[in-house]
Amino acid sequence: MSCAFSREMHALHAEGDLPDGAAELTSGHLRTCDECRRFFEELRARQSLLKLLRRETVSPSDCTRVRRQVMSIINRGEDRSGWALRIERAIVLGFRRRAHALAAFALLGIVSVSALAQMRHIAPTAKQAVAAFEGGDTLFRPEGYRDWILVGPSATAHRSGVSHGAAGTTGAAIPTVYIDPSGYREYAKTGRFPEGTVMVWESVSREPETADRAHKESPVLLASVKDSTRFDGGWGFFNFTGLEGSPTSKARALPGSNGCRTCHRRDAETDQVFTQFYPVLQSAHRAAQLAVPRGSASLTEVLPVSHASRRSGSPRVARA
Amino acid sequence: MELRPDGSLLVQTALSMSRLAQDEMSTDAADIARLVRLTLGGDSTAFEQIILRYETRVMTMAARLLGARDEACDATQEVFLRAFKYLHRLDAQKPVEPWLMGITVNVCRDAARRRQRRRDTFIEIEAPDTIDQSADPYAGMVLKQERLILQRALDGLPEKERLAIVLRDVEGLSTAEVAAILRSSETTVRSQVSRGRLRLKAAIDRLMGVER
Repeated sequence: MSCAFSREMHALHAEGDLPDGAAELTSGHLRTCDECRRFFEELRARQSLLKLLRRETVSPSDCTRVRRQVMSIINRGEDRSGWALRIERAIVLGFRRRAHALAAFALLGIVSVSALAQMRHIAPTAKQAVAAFEGGDTLFRPEGYRDWILVGPSATAHRSGVSHGAAGTTGAAIPTVYIDPSGYREYAKTGRFPEGTVMVWESVSREPETADRAHKESPVLLASVKDSTRFDGGWGFFNFTGLEGSPTSKARALPGSNGCRTCHRRDAETDQVFTQFYPVLQSAHRAAQLAVPRGSASLTEVLPVSHASRRSGSPRVARA
Repeated sequence: MELRPDGSLLVQTALSMSRLAQDEMSTDAADIARLVRLTLGGDSTAFEQIILRYETRVMTMAARLLGARDEACDATQEVFLRAFKYLHRLDAQKPVEPWLMGITVNVCRDAARRRQRRRDTFIEIEAPDTIDQSADPYAGMVLKQERLILQRALDGLPEKERLAIVLRDVEGLSTAEVAAILRSSETTVRSQVSRGRLRLKAAIDRLMGVER
């Protein structure tokens, strides 16, 4: 078609869908353009063909069959409604008037949001309860830490001579390090250990079995808690190792003169945590770095700078 | 009855007929509203009465949208089951038919998508049973042939254009009604209708072997 007049206008004009002004314009053009008039007539012929479909109807027997099936399903009570739909129906039918039903929905929404907010408010408290204190600096032994995120065994630390107390002196124990799940999730997300993070360092050695005595376990159990309101430098360190081979139920924070704090401050790569020895934390750390969007705060602002890597390319060996 | 020269009797007759039609419509709407109330109150026979009123309309529209009788039957069943399930959402102040048409469009759209997912390479297109079959065998054959061409051409349209064309040109709904059912604007519907008509003409021309 060589004429540049809009075909879409013809298509709408064929069924009277154009507003008055546009319809007059199109009619005027059709009076003068043979090519468009021919196209328009063909279009109308096709539209007439389309309207043949209006004459058709479906078989009454099909309608009857379908109606019986529908009523059979309904009468059998196969109500596939979920609980949400049942509540909605009960509210709408209970109030009858639409405005009242909407008000009831709004009220239900407000109550739900408030309940959710309450639950979210309670959640951090539960998270902080991972570290339970007695007084200012006495920590109860963390419960269920073996179910936490395992970030060790810290084979590197062991081989490199990092030892806490009796570890490495009895048998061939490999220290195992755990972090509480909420602390781990936050670290994986942001690259920071949040307040309340608890880490547990455990080394269990077994003395050889003899004829008159079964295996005897000699656990060394240490913990560190991040709580800036209680401890200088942010972290407190605790030793739950008991004299009789069983861990104590609570422990006071080790004094600043103890080697823990010095060593962790000096040699640990990230916020006084030896992340350099734990592949699980390293990969989470990298993921957090990659997640920092361009144009946001620099990595040195987001992540604590490694003391060790500032001084040398290889991680330093820590000694407690 | 005497016809006055000024034609006032004709005007009066026309007005009274119009009033009768309006009264009939309002009676019908009130009847439907009563059936809806009874259904919501647990009377399933009232819902059967609702089905009786709209089943032909719904199934015809499903057949036009899907082009296959079996699928149209399945779709109709689904439409009324959904209507029963969500009847409490129906605004009592509004008519039932556009609401049912909206459900029909959604159900047919879902059915067409499922069919697409099954990757049917060939869909048997059949003309739904017609009531006004021609007595002339030749004319009947031509009619059936044209019907098949039309259905193939419609099936070849993009989904939105096909819906707009069927609702506007086959069902004969106004642009505003189509826009309400498709939850779209009138401008969008007009655009889909105009494009659809042009595509449909091209497809029919091609199927009929008309050289352009």
